[in-house]
Amino acid sequence: MVALKLIPQLLSWIGIVLVLLRGFPGRRSIVTAASISGFVIGVAGDFILFRSFPGTIPFGIIKSALGVSFLLLWGISVATIYRSTGQGVTISWGERLVNTSICAGTGALLTGIIAGAVCACRIPAPDGNLPALLFLVLVAGILTFFALAVEKMLPASLTVSPSGMLAAVVTLLLFSSSSILRLDLFSPLSMKVMKGVHDFVHQFMESILIPDHLFVRPVVWKYIGFLFGKEVGFWGGIVIWFTPAFLIALAIQFERLPSVAHIRQGAQRRRLLAAAIKTQRHRLVIPLFSVVILAAAAYQSSFPSTEYWDPKPIPISANQAGEIIIPKKGEIDLEDGKLHKYLFKQGGREARFFVLMTPEGKLTVDLDACAICKPDGYGQAEGSVICYYCKTLIPLETVGKPGGCNPVPIAFIEKGDSVVIDSVTLINSWSTTVKATARVKEGGK
Amino acid sequence: MAPAIIETSGLTRNYGDICALKPIDLLVPDGEWLSVMGHSGSGKSTLMNLVGGLDRPSAGSLRVGGENLLALNEDGLARFRREFVGIIFQQHHLVPYLTAEENVMLAQYFHSVPDESEARSALERVGLGHRLKNRPGELSGGEQQRVCIARAIINSPKLLLGDEPTGNLDHKSTVMVMELLKELRAEERFTVIMVTHNQEVATWGDRTIYLDDGVLVREERTRS
Repeated sequence: MVALKLIPQLLSWIGIVLVLLRGFPGRRSIVTAASISGFVIGVAGDFILFRSFPGTIPFGIIKSALGVSFLLLWGISVATIYRSTGQGVTISWGERLVNTSICAGTGALLTGIIAGAVCACRIPAPDGNLPALLFLVLVAGILTFFALAVEKMLPASLTVSPSGMLAAVVTLLLFSSSSILRLDLFSPLSMKVMKGVHDFVHQFMESILIPDHLFVRPVVWKYIGFLFGKEVGFWGGIVIWFTPAFLIALAIQFERLPSVAHIRQGAQRRRLLAAAIKTQRHRLVIPLFSVVILAAAAYQSSFPSTEYWDPKPIPISANQAGEIIIPKKGEIDLEDGKLHKYLFKQGGREARFFVLMTPEGKLTVDLDACAICKPDGYGQAEGSVICYYCKTLIPLETVGKPGGCNPVPIAFIEKGDSVVIDSVTLINSWSTTVKATARVKEGGK
Repeated sequence: MAPAIIETSGLTRNYGDICALKPIDLLVPDGEWLSVMGHSGSGKSTLMNLVGGLDRPSAGSLRVGGENLLALNEDGLARFRREFVGIIFQQHHLVPYLTAEENVMLAQYFHSVPDESEARSALERVGLGHRLKNRPGELSGGEQQRVCIARAIINSPKLLLGDEPTGNLDHKSTVMVMELLKELRAEERFTVIMVTHNQEVATWGDRTIYLDDGVLVREERTRS
């Protein structure tokens, strides 16, 4: 089962090795050795990290490495398109740099480390599953040699530009991580865009002394609300996600053909031009392949195959004193670490909330909504709860703390074997939250 | 003597039971103009097709420009024809709905990339600078054959093959075409193999070989 789950990561690994071998021509042995070594270091690093730190930190480190590689891709793509316009650097410094053994070895090693770390994260509890990690390393080693054999069969004309190689490697790493909820970059990116736009509009309206929440008429919110919707985040994320690969493809397309004016014989002149055009076209293959891989990663991120624990809310009522009392044990065990949803209705008003025991053994009661998004609710998977609206992952350790996309916590007391919640507090809290975020629903949906 | 551009040894071509070309040993020095004569069915076109990479021999060895044609696959043969050979046919084989210029550019397209100015100057070289935009149907037989020559030489072939290129032309046009080929050969220094029925046309070459029923029966030097 674990082996099946690793298929996207291992396929990505084959792709990465192929691209590295093509991208560093004449450095096959260095690239092979460095990439395998890197993979082993990455897996071992995961093992040590997960042993040494709580679950969120290793994921954070690996996710940061992925983020940095994506930023690097952005930087290189902008530099590449700038260079293709004939501005600035006129010599192909990138290609010269790539042709050094140090660059080939370092690049392959770093890529191997990140790829190995991502692959190891796919294994459940990597700090306690040494046989699975060793098996992973063995399979990756075999696949590296498979990639080596396949690369020899590829046509020699299929060359890869340095920026194209970076695009392919980074996108394959992003694809590899997209099926791991806590390493996925696309959903957080969309969420950041959505929140960035939200905050910008908010700040903008405040800066022009128009309080945005109180006096703006509903009809205006119909239009402004669109900016707060997840669609803006999604499409903004898509633009940021795909732009580097498109820039690199454009840069290759804009590359100047070699000067052949000095060649006297027409046929030879045309032959050289045709060869340059052919090389240029082949070089476009990799950035376009990267676009496809990025699309697959975005799809995987938007429609994850993960099955969320999402129980149907249980209708619950309050007693005469206005208290909602939920027994900790009984038909439902509130301390089983799972999210348990309830629906409270009173006088035409309703509130949805959940009770969850965090990994630290602390019970928490929260609205099934946050203070930002449309109240689509939360599901639970892989040590997190996920906001269904913006796909933000909230580590279980932080559930119960207010702010951001975290579920809004509700005050409660533990009385004997029960959890007691004040129904008025609950219903007011829900109403306030939903009133604030319903504009998203009106305008954004 | 210049090094051989064409070397055949025991070159044979059978079509089923019919042996179109019986084992032939032939050496053609680089830059030579070789005329091939013989009756219909004597194997002239078969020999030309083999040398031009249009057909594969049944037996024997065949090296053209240092390349062993028997060792080439279809892609290799296509590349060989594209880069090494120019062919002029009796029936012209021009694309009727393209202009003279476009017909020449078509050969450039299949070779590498089209270049209009180069195509134009090639047509000017064969005396058709004023007929660039005319379609084949608007040209005389001699003019069409000159378009074919421009098309054949546009990719600077090392070997120019002519399969009775003057077969459909009157005497005046024939002389014009042969004069043109002579001039171009002097400038471009390609090797010519010219299949013909016409003894007068054969005399334009350096050497003539005679085929009969697939056998090389005789050869004679036509120029000193």
